Amino acid sequence: MTLALAGARYRYAGTPRDVLDGVDLEVEPGRVVGLVGANESGKSTVCLVASGLAPASIGGRLEGSVTMDGVETRSLKPHELAQRCGVLFQNPTTQLSGTAVTVFEELAFGPRNLGLEIGEVVARVEWALETLGIGALAPKDPVRLSGGQAQLVALASVLALRPAYLVLDEPTSQLDPQGTRLVGEALTRLAGETNTGILIAEHKTELLAAMAQRVVVLDAGRVTESGPAAEVLGDVRLSELGVEPPATVRLRRALSEAGVSVEPGVWAVLATAESRGSSAGLQEPGLQETRMQVVSSGPPGVSDRPGAGGGRA
Amino acid sequence: MLRPPQGTYHALNPTTKLVIAFAEAAVAFGVRGWTGPIVVLLVLTLTAFAAGVARRMVPFALATIPLVISILLVNTLLYPGATDVIVRIGPLAPTGSGLTAALQATLRVVAFALSAAILGLTTPTDDLLSDLERRGLGRRGTFVIGSAIRMVPRMGERAGEITDSQRARGMDTQGSVLRRVRGIIPLAGPMIFGALTEVEEQSMALEARAFSAPAHRTVLRTLPDSGSQRAARWILFLGALAAIAAEIAGVLHLP
Amino acid sequence: MSIRIAVESVGFVYPDGTRALEGVDLRIEPGERIAIVGQNGSGKSTLVRQLNGLLRPTEGRVLVDGTDAASLHVAQLAAKVGLAFQNPDRQIFAGRVRAEVAFGPRNLGRRGAELDRAVDEALDAVGLSDTGEVNPYDLGFSRRKLLAIASVLAMETPVVLLDEPTTGQDARGAARVRSIIERLSTEGRTVITVSHDMRFVAETARRVVVMRAGRIVLDGTPDDVFSEPNWPALASTYLEPTLAARVGARMGLAGTATEAGLVRALAAREGAGDA
Repeated sequence: MTLALAGARYRYAGTPRDVLDGVDLEVEPGRVVGLVGANESGKSTVCLVASGLAPASIGGRLEGSVTMDGVETRSLKPHELAQRCGVLFQNPTTQLSGTAVTVFEELAFGPRNLGLEIGEVVARVEWALETLGIGALAPKDPVRLSGGQAQLVALASVLALRPAYLVLDEPTSQLDPQGTRLVGEALTRLAGETNTGILIAEHKTELLAAMAQRVVVLDAGRVTESGPAAEVLGDVRLSELGVEPPATVRLRRALSEAGVSVEPGVWAVLATAESRGSSAGLQEPGLQETRMQVVSSGPPGVSDRPGAGGGRA
Repeated sequence: MLRPPQGTYHALNPTTKLVIAFAEAAVAFGVRGWTGPIVVLLVLTLTAFAAGVARRMVPFALATIPLVISILLVNTLLYPGATDVIVRIGPLAPTGSGLTAALQATLRVVAFALSAAILGLTTPTDDLLSDLERRGLGRRGTFVIGSAIRMVPRMGERAGEITDSQRARGMDTQGSVLRRVRGIIPLAGPMIFGALTEVEEQSMALEARAFSAPAHRTVLRTLPDSGSQRAARWILFLGALAAIAAEIAGVLHLP
Repeated sequence: MSIRIAVESVGFVYPDGTRALEGVDLRIEPGERIAIVGQNGSGKSTLVRQLNGLLRPTEGRVLVDGTDAASLHVAQLAAKVGLAFQNPDRQIFAGRVRAEVAFGPRNLGRRGAELDRAVDEALDAVGLSDTGEVNPYDLGFSRRKLLAIASVLAMETPVVLLDEPTTGQDARGAARVRSIIERLSTEGRTVITVSHDMRFVAETARRVVVMRAGRIVLDGTPDDVFSEPNWPALASTYLEPTLAARVGARMGLAGTATEAGLVRALAAREGAGDA
């Protein structure tokens, strides 16, 4: 029972060339698969195809097989796909329904469409708000959200449908480091606790190092590499493909290239950083107390004010 | 968030309030002379105070001022066939009939605006649309209406950002009218382009949130209805139509 | 080209009562390369908008080139201080790349050959020279962002503000932004970048201003700001020092905010050890 692409070839409606040129990819329940590649490599197209929206919603020509738990996505209607697989696109503002006056209503949009009983709708909305720590945003007008807030709300709206699989296209692009960490932790918990299978396209390789079990590298519509996260992210060829390796990998490489000898303590720090996705900074002793002191000073990573121009502080 | 609305008027079924607004607008416009609009305005004022939204109605009344000014000018000065001139000021000859027509038209416009305002202030949009959906308006219909209603704040927010970015690139927003008009053209571009590219993405996003699921959409708040409200709706609706019919038939002779 | 900016005890409260800036003092000399960092909500974008007049201080004042910014229209300030917005789709409006880039300099009065030159150079700086006649919406998001930056570069302002230039960029895009900042610096312009990408900041800025809740909490070179004594202050803003800084501190080395700095410091220690 997986979300699987086998030999997937896809071209958008009215275009002459295949954007995906034979992609093989598999996401198992409870596992996180990272997808990396340069900006025009086809990551977003993989997300559309994996979720079934291409071709069900946007047309185009799909060859090969895309299955969710054994069922070909071609044979499912859009709302059936929506219940099995949640999708988040790069642009958060287009994902909001545009009809809700509060974030609470926005999150309720999906569950309500399914005709779920009101108690269930409320429970799901509250759970989604809590999972991402955005309870404070519930009464706000979605029109007034900053880019980062909109992205969190869009993600929460997808979570509210409780799909078995999640396909996320750069879900942290607008978030600051704290917000990114929060989302990473929430998704990891989700995969573990509810057995959700997650496919996540990202530039932030540190995040993937912390969250993903497997990483797939995409280049010009083809999978050039696929394997355990640590292996793939440590591969020297990554930068040639337009992907920035995680800081730990870069640093190790820079140190060994310079032929500088390094005491074992350094490798220990790097190893800790790797295992925690380079978030080790705040976990180091001495900073623990500071962290505890500041945790009570309100929700970080979330801005709370009307805008006065593009991009918020 | 899901508390039922407080207050007698607020707690009325949304469709009832919609029908009331319709009846008010119909009588204000359909019945000639002073009586129609004045009666409606009285009803509106009393309702507004009873529902506790009187103060919030003021901006809506003020919003009609530009339209009212043009109505007053056009009718008073240019009423066709009027000969009862009040005073001559150079080439201008305001007439008594024109003035009367202008004032009546003003009352109608204000009555219409306020009846819509009361509806908007006492009824969450979602409630109204859910109720209409329950009564048979399709999901797409409610989505289109809901989206249109939210369009203004959405576009407003977006327009503000685009204008900011253009001012930051030296576009002059002060200064002559011509320059300001020229300033609107760059604004239209990103609004439209942005809107078009977003439409496709948004329709995908809607599908991804099960928009086309066949089930009946869950109602957020219980919307009470009663036999007496149902009766009242029919009476108001038919009554308004009857008043208009009587007026057209020339049977009503109200001042 | 030498424009000095002075932010004097600036405070800012939004119309709805939210306080975004408090007691901000900042002096920016001509040609500086500054990064303003902080979490979303720290006030960094608000501060930057005080510098080109999109927002006016509710307390204190901002002096641009000796004049109180409050006495100048945004359009007048635009000739001195250019701002590239975070979201290019809120800025781009023309049907062709060239037309988009030409908008700014044309508003500033450039015409003919001078205008063409400014546009050509700007497109070259961002690597979009061969897309002049393309519709901006046919470019990917990453390149649209570079287009937004080009639109500001073409105005050739002495001060350039970049709001989150690397969000949504892949490795090539980020490298391109880095080279743009280098180029601007070589030309003697002041570059102010708002970012929450600490590694990018360490590598491109000579001065880092850290903000939290509307105030400046740290102001210094990257090596200073990411050094161990400042970690508690950084932690209070939920920002992290770069990995290189952390490794360097663990080894008792200074000046290791960037990877190159760490390698240099280690090599130096090794060299000294041999002697």
